[in-house]
Amino acid sequence: MDLALTPEQEMLKTAVRRFVQQEYPKETLLRIASPDDATDDTTPVTPWDRLSSTGWLGTLIPEEFGGEGGSFTDAGVLFEELGRGPVPGPHLSSGVLTALTILEGGTPQQKSDWLPQIASGQMRVAPAVTEPEYGWFEEDVRLAASVDGDNYRLNGSKSFVYDGQSATHFLCAARFQGTGEVGLIMVPTDGPGVASRGLPGFAWNLSEVRLSEVRAGAADLLGGTFAGGWAALERGIAKSVPVLCSFQVGGCQAVYELSVEYSRTRIQFGTPIGRFQRVQDHVIDLVNALDAARWTAYEALWKLDTGREAADGIHLAKVVGSESYYEACNFAHEVHAGVGSMTEYGLTLHTAASRTLYHYLGDPKFHRRRLAEALGL
Amino acid sequence: MDFEPRYTQEQEEFRQQVRAWLKENVPQGIEHPADAIDLTEGQYQLRRDLGRKLGARGWLWPTAPTEFGGGGLDVDRAVVIEEEIDSYGLTNPPYYDSGGRLGGASILVWGTQEQKQVFLPPIFTGGVRTWQLLSEPEAGSDLANVKTTAIRDGDEYVINGQKIFVGSSLGCDYMWTITVTDPEAKRHENLGWFMVPWGLPGITVQPMNLLISGGESGAGSGVKNTVFFDNVRVPAFNLIGAENEGWKVASTHLELEHGSGGRIARNWLVDRLFEHCRGTTRRGQPLTKDPDVRDRLIDVYVEAEIVRLFNLRNYWMRHSSADMTYEGPQASLVRKTSGLRLTRAMLDILGPSGLTHDSDLGAADGHMEAHARAGIVAVHPGGTREIQKVIMARRIGIGREVREKAGALS
Repeated sequence: MDLALTPEQEMLKTAVRRFVQQEYPKETLLRIASPDDATDDTTPVTPWDRLSSTGWLGTLIPEEFGGEGGSFTDAGVLFEELGRGPVPGPHLSSGVLTALTILEGGTPQQKSDWLPQIASGQMRVAPAVTEPEYGWFEEDVRLAASVDGDNYRLNGSKSFVYDGQSATHFLCAARFQGTGEVGLIMVPTDGPGVASRGLPGFAWNLSEVRLSEVRAGAADLLGGTFAGGWAALERGIAKSVPVLCSFQVGGCQAVYELSVEYSRTRIQFGTPIGRFQRVQDHVIDLVNALDAARWTAYEALWKLDTGREAADGIHLAKVVGSESYYEACNFAHEVHAGVGSMTEYGLTLHTAASRTLYHYLGDPKFHRRRLAEALGL
Repeated sequence: MDFEPRYTQEQEEFRQQVRAWLKENVPQGIEHPADAIDLTEGQYQLRRDLGRKLGARGWLWPTAPTEFGGGGLDVDRAVVIEEEIDSYGLTNPPYYDSGGRLGGASILVWGTQEQKQVFLPPIFTGGVRTWQLLSEPEAGSDLANVKTTAIRDGDEYVINGQKIFVGSSLGCDYMWTITVTDPEAKRHENLGWFMVPWGLPGITVQPMNLLISGGESGAGSGVKNTVFFDNVRVPAFNLIGAENEGWKVASTHLELEHGSGGRIARNWLVDRLFEHCRGTTRRGQPLTKDPDVRDRLIDVYVEAEIVRLFNLRNYWMRHSSADMTYEGPQASLVRKTSGLRLTRAMLDILGPSGLTHDSDLGAADGHMEAHARAGIVAVHPGGTREIQKVIMARRIGIGREVREKAGALS
């Protein structure tokens, strides 16, 4: 038994933390998240190029495809630090979810074409799965794919697409009109008939994508067939969930540190407010949520790394990660009162992220159901 | 990172050895009753016998140093032993010995070499069993407010006072006790710890009537008692740590009692609840197919997993000598909260069958009814949830100007 990170992982943690501090200061993160920019899909405010040069987009991509061939726990360390930002962008959707899904279901040609570009950041792919009738089950996919000679035509819309604004491609879940099967089709974001926009309001890093008479070739269809596309995505999602949970852990850690610091320095009634037990209660509930998220995430990552049966750990981690990040932000707001609601303070970035990530890749209720199945109930 | 002991070939062989030995040595009839108060004298003696046999092999306190009768084994082997004993529904030691667990560890930190040689081997080899005597009528959450006095008189101390919520129904060999050694001195600078031999003249033990015994260990401990000291004379040798330095000893004792020792055993009660729901039908289908029951079982599972992981983390931190801050009281707080919430989940899932140990109508042989009571009582021994929070806040660095350190464990 050894619950410590390796020296290499400690070094990675330090390097990512420094990178995030330099490249994604609060002002940058606020600018990325601001609704004004979000409605304009061409605003070049995001330093994705610098990120691409780090190699971290390829953490989970095997070396033969230009990646680093790292472990899931390595990815967890990376994403915990990104979550402290919280840094949106192509990391999770492209470098993790898309890459793992291609590894699960891509043809050899697709793997050697796409994965090196994803690792280098040339291709930044956002999976476009959910629709206005929101859900993460296969039956929720309605986007229509019909035959058009040797090609396919896509018509429909995708809503609540995560990381959409930093993407160069969407990997669209589409229902084949011939067989009813759901496959995955790679579509460039700037291709004819593709339109996307960032969603305004409290949604964080979410876009809507509309597809009208969009043409795609057989080479763009994952695995070359609709059959098995959804299954590959589900396997990709399962392995991505604990990495997303690490991101949530990083968010919890960030708001915990803000709250501890504020409790120590904010003076009311002539004393730091952290001396008041009512305030302490919030900080304690917060750290309990943080640690629950941390250790469920780490255990799920470890199960994946060691090839163990991981379904129970994965669903557990997402239930706890989503609920913890949501609650952690609420507790942080309690500690900060009015100051926490000032956007320039930075807490609200996390609060917004916690709400969107609560649902991303399945909300707690979805994962509780899956957990019951995994436990054989 | 590795959440399981890394079982080498050698350790797998060790497991086979432990398994074979337990098969040979765990007697019939040793099972844990639903309510610890129902543990018979016969069952208790079977458990003590098993403890002595485990002790003789160094398996009773596997990680304690060999020079004092412990096993001197590494964590991974200790885990193997614990897992194998757990598969019998037993704990290690197989009887309630909070004084051994906490007092023994405290003596290891604060005792003199001679005291270690005298007191520790009998504990670590299962020869003696120890109660811990902390709470008093005026010292519940405020332990430093104890009133029991131990006043030096020649080579002895004379103890007078009253302790409550102590021990179990079946006696002990030593009483690990905190007392006032200087009534004139300042708070925290006036205390001393003693190993008081059972049976000295002037000791009276009076059973208490409680909802259930509870107990920080979670293992059965039977009835709790009030213990009266009336001019009990104890050799000065039995004072652990210096006179008036008892609060330092307390810091070690309480650190462990508050959960820093960690734990690796599964929650057998939750396993049992699941088993009951799988095997019980309502309206023609197993309870586990009822959507409401499924939801509540998953609530229970999620909380039990968090508790398991906190205990596991603390177990690893303690055995790898990692620096701990708030982790001990955190595990205690979360475990107690989830234990109490489990009583509510049981009400939802089981209905009134979880409120009786009637042999026909009680769920799961009365184990659910026992927890309906124990889940309430177990919230308070070893510090209430509020006390755990106070300690956490100090360790986090917000409760006081200077951040408090964890108690010394070595």
